[in-house]
Amino acid sequence: MKNRIEEIRNQRGIRQEDLARQMQVSRQTISSLENGRYNPSILLAHRIAAYFGMTIEEVFIFDEEE
Amino acid sequence: MYNNNRRIVLDILWIILGLILIGLSIAEVLDSSLYSGMGGALTAVGAVNLARAMRYKKDAGYRERIDTEAGDERNQYIRMKSWAFAGYMAVLLEAAGSVAAAAMGKTQIQLTLYFCLCLLLVLYWASCMIFSRKY
Repeated sequence: MKNRIEEIRNQRGIRQEDLARQMQVSRQTISSLENGRYNPSILLAHRIAAYFGMTIEEVFIFDEEE
Repeated sequence: MYNNNRRIVLDILWIILGLILIGLSIAEVLDSSLYSGMGGALTAVGAVNLARAMRYKKDAGYRERIDTEAGDERNQYIRMKSWAFAGYMAVLLEAAGSVAAAAMGKTQIQLTLYFCLCLLLVLYWASCMIFSRKY
């Protein structure tokens, strides 16, 4: 599943460490999410979207073919 | 998130148990170097874990890092996947080892591996039953 975490994070000048601290996950988790190596749970996806003040669909791009 | 007090009690118990084993070995109640080695290992593990637990109690930064690592969902996912893979590999290796032992005529090894394989499969089956009811 693709996502716009890195793009939105860079737009807002948030560091990976700070986003990780806010989401109560490790920086490696944020890095893996941004690289598309790891898909988050619905809870983490919701937390990230809520932190950015967006909907899950605006942050995470669901591709049915994947 | 992280039950530190319970860990401290357990670590102290390991140290005490280790010291008892060392003491009994020195007093020659237990006449094997195996027990003194085991006692030394238990004491060392307990001491290292106790030092970590005390640091967790006093160092806020360390505490935050440990809590994050313990609660991090990717870490939990990796741990779960690693256990699943380890179990899967154990089944394959035990099956292969059992067949190889049978071919070499090592009946005792074959039966031990076969028993371990059956135990793992029973545990897997029981886990499937429990989790399919839970979820």
